[in-house]
Amino acid sequence: MKVTAQPSADILTLLLDGELDASSAIVLDTELAKPDILNYRKVLVDCAKLSYISSAGLGVFISHLQRFQDAHVKLVFFNMQEKVFNVFEILGLDALMTIVPSATEAEAV
Amino acid sequence: MFVPQRFLSLLLPLSLLSWVALLLSALSHSGADPWLGRWPEWATQLTQGIFVLSIFLHYRYQPSPLQGQAFVRLLRRLVVGPGLLALGCVGLHLFERLAKDQPIFSGNGLFFTSIYTLNLGLFVIFLARTNYAWRALVLFRSSTRLQREWTLFEILLGATLLFRLVGVNPPNYLGIPIVVTLGLYGVYLSGHQKWVAYLSQRDKWRAALLQAVLLFGVLVFVQYFRLTQYDPQLIAPEAQYAFLLLTAFFSAFYALMGLLVTFFNMPIADIIEQRRNEILRLQRLTQIIQRGQTSAEVYHILLESAVQTVQAEAAWLDLEPGQARLDAAASTFYHNLLPTQADALREQLKGHELPAGKFITNGLNIRLGVEGGTPRVFRSLLQLPLRGLHYTYGMLHLLKVDPHTFDREDLNILQTFTSQAVLSIENLELVRTSLENQRTQEELKIASQVQNSLIPKNLPTDNWFDISSHSLAAKEVGGDFYDFLHLPGRRLAVIIGDVSGKGVTAAFHMAQMKGIFHSLMQENPLAKTERDKFPVPSRFMAQANAALVHCLEKSSFITSSLYIIDYEQGGFVFARAGHCHTLYYHAMREEVFYFESTGLGLGIIRNETYEKHIKNQFYDYSPGDVMVIYTDGIVEARGDGGAEYGEDRLKQRLEECYYLAADEIKSFILNDLNAFTKGYPIHDDQTLLVIKFKSAQPPPLA
Repeated sequence: MKVTAQPSADILTLLLDGELDASSAIVLDTELAKPDILNYRKVLVDCAKLSYISSAGLGVFISHLQRFQDAHVKLVFFNMQEKVFNVFEILGLDALMTIVPSATEAEAV
Repeated sequence: MFVPQRFLSLLLPLSLLSWVALLLSALSHSGADPWLGRWPEWATQLTQGIFVLSIFLHYRYQPSPLQGQAFVRLLRRLVVGPGLLALGCVGLHLFERLAKDQPIFSGNGLFFTSIYTLNLGLFVIFLARTNYAWRALVLFRSSTRLQREWTLFEILLGATLLFRLVGVNPPNYLGIPIVVTLGLYGVYLSGHQKWVAYLSQRDKWRAALLQAVLLFGVLVFVQYFRLTQYDPQLIAPEAQYAFLLLTAFFSAFYALMGLLVTFFNMPIADIIEQRRNEILRLQRLTQIIQRGQTSAEVYHILLESAVQTVQAEAAWLDLEPGQARLDAAASTFYHNLLPTQADALREQLKGHELPAGKFITNGLNIRLGVEGGTPRVFRSLLQLPLRGLHYTYGMLHLLKVDPHTFDREDLNILQTFTSQAVLSIENLELVRTSLENQRTQEELKIASQVQNSLIPKNLPTDNWFDISSHSLAAKEVGGDFYDFLHLPGRRLAVIIGDVSGKGVTAAFHMAQMKGIFHSLMQENPLAKTERDKFPVPSRFMAQANAALVHCLEKSSFITSSLYIIDYEQGGFVFARAGHCHTLYYHAMREEVFYFESTGLGLGIIRNETYEKHIKNQFYDYSPGDVMVIYTDGIVEARGDGGAEYGEDRLKQRLEECYYLAADEIKSFILNDLNAFTKGYPIHDDQTLLVIKFKSAQPPPLA
């Protein structure tokens, strides 16, 4: 699992590459837990290369959800593979999080 | 060299016979008894030669006089045996001198010759015993080469004996160099005094004394033969000069060398002994330390051994509290110091700006006040850290009053001590950790048993439905759960859930969820209608979510589905909180499908808005319908190439087996799952419930 952060003016794009399970969740958690992440207007998560997400991986997003909302930082997922989207959907997260098909739509949110 | 035992047992009688023959031969020359006549010269030589040879051979094949390292015992026996012979010899000589003036003995060649021959015999025995005692000492821990050299020495000496026997009397220009060469060879062999190093200080004095006595004994004999040689009364044959001279010389010289070596060894014996004691102490330390049950014991032994080895006047051992693996309260060990005094010393050492690692300093001046006495001043300090592979466990400090008393050697030997101690500490730690692991394993086993008791063993039975269940945890304990509860009005509540994560944390939350289920599914006495006495599934989920806010970790969540089956009405209501979709076989339509419903997992939104995200779904069942409830451990189980089992495959399986009984449907699905995941470890807990509705029949009359 590789997490690459690409900051621009007021948007931070996180590229997830690989399988997000219990062991790699720590890497992502470290990235999301950084205090200055709340200075961005939007955090876009590019899931194009995210092939699998476990409950521990979901837990990382869930644990930061409230914090992002409170700071009015939008968390947007895009390019999500169907299999991964299915996991979000079953858990009901699709209703709670912004999941869009592509980067252009993600930027438009 | 193998010599038959029979031959060896003949040696002593042979020597006795030859000596008697020698005596007779000598007497025949003295003319004491005309009856004897006058024997030829060669007869004297031959009997003398045989006597010397048999005595030497006899002692040669005796067991080694040296037993173990009992050097002093060997010397003592040499003094008490042959030494007394020398005394006897002197006594005989004196007696002879005294008796000479008596008319009866005057000019009596018989008496004089007898005494002389007797002394010669005693001298030969003395030389033989001494020589072979020296052999044992020369060859003590010797090389094969030295053993060969010694054998050569014996052969050469034997050859000189033969000279006389065959009547060859080499001219002086040849004889003297030969004798000198052999003498030098003896000198060379006398250099082998290895045994001296193994003597203790006290034994060295004894050995020196005994050697001096032996030397004296040899001199007595030599002096005797020197004096009697030219005695006009002696009409005895010439002695085997070359052989006796050489052996006497070797005996004396070896004793002299041994004496000198012992003497010159004295000053350095202290050091040698000290080193030997260090080795012994190290051995003992190793043994004791290995027996040490606690780290405190090991540290204590280390400190005491170090103090004894370098004879330190005071010492202390500071331990790193975090690393020392200490099972005792103390983190410092003292020798001949009070804790307060050690504090004072530490303070003073700070002023010296000493390096942090191992070092010796011999020019210190640290003062230690002693109540009611003169202050102690320490001038030498040895400091040594206890280093392990990963940690430094502490620091050893040794102090001496005199300056320049520590050296590199001390440091080296102490370092061996500390390494040994550290090794033991680390071993103890390993043992402790493995014991702890064992205990943890035991506790996990208990946890597993406890959790197992939380899973219902007795499935509800009724003639309206048929239930079968399966659950398997990926680790000792898991986060999956399911439960049943009979509600009044012929209703049955079925709950299934999956806590995010695995192992102990998940197991705790699973137990909580079971508790929440049973406490929320209590009858509400204030409810207006019968149906309101128990919460509907969506209400239950909202209440569970609110309850979980207080007990669920921030990154944990729970997915769950609650079904309340009303078999009087032939329907059920359920809510899905983020849990896997329910698989359903509709008997009338002969169709297998997943219930498509929305619902958010528990613990994701931790406020009252949760209720907006959960819905109830009602469904009427008909007999023959099959409901398959499971956790994601089933559909996400991995097979070849990391492929997931998947919802589609599960659906296909139900399409193939819906007509079976609940238990058989479960087995059918599990067999397929096992075939799919064959050889791969399960990485998530698996739970599978199969409920098959049967045709409504009236309850049996009681």
